[in-house]
Amino acid sequence: MSRVNTVLGPIPTEELGLVAVHEHIGYGMPGSELDTRWWRSPEQRYEETVPKLRQFHEYGGGTFVDATGICNGRDADYYKSLSAKTGVHIVASTGFVGGDTALPFFARASVEYLAEHFIHEITVGIGNTGSRAGIIKVGVSRGGRMTDLDKRIYRAAARAALTTGVPILTHLAIDAENAITIFNAEGLPLDRVLFGHVDDGVNADKTRDTWIAEQGGRVGFDTFGYETELPDPPFWARPRKERLDHFLRFIGQGHLGKVLASADANCSPLGWPGVEGHTVNYIFEDLIPDLRAAGLDEAAIKTIFVENPADFLTIQH
Amino acid sequence: MGAQTAEDTTGSTVNTVLGPVSAQQLGVVAVHEALLSVVPGAEYGFDVTIDRAEIFQTLAEKLKDFRRHGGGTIVDSTGMFHGRDVRLYEALSRTTGVHIVASAGQGPEEMLGGYFLTPQTNPPTPWPAEKFADLFAKEVTEGMVVPRVERRGAAGLVATAATLGGMTPTDESLFRGAARAALTTGVPVSIRYGSDAVRDLEVLLDEKLPADRVVVGGLDRKDAVAAGAPLQVATRGAYVGLDHAGTEDDAHITDAERAALVAGLVEAGHGNRILLSSNATGVAKGHPANDLPYSYVLTTFVPLLKAQGLSDEDVQRILVDNPRDLLSVR
Repeated sequence: MSRVNTVLGPIPTEELGLVAVHEHIGYGMPGSELDTRWWRSPEQRYEETVPKLRQFHEYGGGTFVDATGICNGRDADYYKSLSAKTGVHIVASTGFVGGDTALPFFARASVEYLAEHFIHEITVGIGNTGSRAGIIKVGVSRGGRMTDLDKRIYRAAARAALTTGVPILTHLAIDAENAITIFNAEGLPLDRVLFGHVDDGVNADKTRDTWIAEQGGRVGFDTFGYETELPDPPFWARPRKERLDHFLRFIGQGHLGKVLASADANCSPLGWPGVEGHTVNYIFEDLIPDLRAAGLDEAAIKTIFVENPADFLTIQH
Repeated sequence: MGAQTAEDTTGSTVNTVLGPVSAQQLGVVAVHEALLSVVPGAEYGFDVTIDRAEIFQTLAEKLKDFRRHGGGTIVDSTGMFHGRDVRLYEALSRTTGVHIVASAGQGPEEMLGGYFLTPQTNPPTPWPAEKFADLFAKEVTEGMVVPRVERRGAAGLVATAATLGGMTPTDESLFRGAARAALTTGVPVSIRYGSDAVRDLEVLLDEKLPADRVVVGGLDRKDAVAAGAPLQVATRGAYVGLDHAGTEDDAHITDAERAALVAGLVEAGHGNRILLSSNATGVAKGHPANDLPYSYVLTTFVPLLKAQGLSDEDVQRILVDNPRDLLSVR
């Protein structure tokens, strides 16, 4: 039986449909909840979020993978209500965006405890919500090199992925040699790992996307839409054409079966201003038209947005 | 020096979780305790249970015990990011009759969330003092944050701490921010020093915060005593926090030594600068509790002081007058 954990319960892989594989309902660095400048009422949160998810659903979007880790404002109860009211499947993450977003309780924890925590969230549930995590988030802290804590989290994630069969999604694919060393040491097949953000403006030059694919890893071009052409682009933005060319070049090298794509947008950011006008629907409104214009056929588009994520997200036994 | 002159606190108030209270009504104050103490992140731990009803019952019993032994006011010195639960404390105060003073502030650096340390800017520069000052001051002027929900009550002090190995640059920003918030709002600052109590105090004084608006906690640590820090802190006019009464371990002096230290300070004329507390944790999540009753100082430590020859007036000054002067909003 093929299945994927969503916040409302397991669903068959066949029901995933088009997947936005790296998105956020709302992301905030831990501690941002103390700063009232970012607060919004629940009315405002729903008002900012529901139309984007409904639009995603109407465009034909099936599944929204929320890559917000523990301590970053992840809110499974809220996701459940959003999913139930909009019809979008929402997959929640266990794990951390990076060591620098893990609060002291987890920063001090052993690999064994972290693995046990991730496994609990995948097999029993997140807190008392009953929602089981469908993916494990890990990442590289600011600074470009994996810290000791980052490495402990990667190792714990590898063990949890092996135990539960859910895959791993990374924030940043820099310093991939260290990541792959850990995954290999733990015996985790690299096709259970999506190395994300290979396309981001700060790190793209330093990210060995081809090498990762050659090792067997999946490769995420998942910051589509963070463009220098925006009126107020974030520091990780990149010229639109440069990113698209990078993506097409990578596919052209024979890696279509390895790629996933997403927009990494916030429906309603929790601890930062967000980027006005950038939503998950960039996938439908800009990215897929750009891919068609560049000559990709419907089969290739289906591979990127439906088949590859289905293979990736399906719980392995 | 003004530091040796008792402030006139006749008309002063203290910020409690139930609102401003006349400073004269505080009674015996335990000036450095923890009600609910949660290591940041522990609330998400799969094996950590947060049962509010159970926590309430445990804390209520401990507060009633404190009151039964003559206690009047508990200061929760855990700051704004270590389990502080303003609504729970309001209910506890209403139920037990104990005044509860809650704190703004956070620290040391290790206990901060990434929002303050690696913000989403390039480069990810940690927060400067001015931003911490604003964050802490608003907890007094606009109310304490219940994250992403509301502000309630007013913080009665700003509590922060430096890294044990020595103050880091971000710790220094926290200290300077705490001092500036204290200056603009009139509440005091409670610090836990890192490796050098006097040096850490001087960071606050460098911000022009009067020394008598500061309690330096942890001065019953062995390293502080060996360095002569309690006397030096008192001489500078700050309050000397001997706030691990009942703790006798590798890092702290014994109660007998603590009592002798108090007697020595009183003899040296610093009786108006001593504060006592037990650093008890009423309920701890994610770390071991220091499971002493809040009444420990009253029931067990005060007799040791009497044995050292302290008078009732001395004890009254230490347990009632000094914390009253410190906590009075200026």
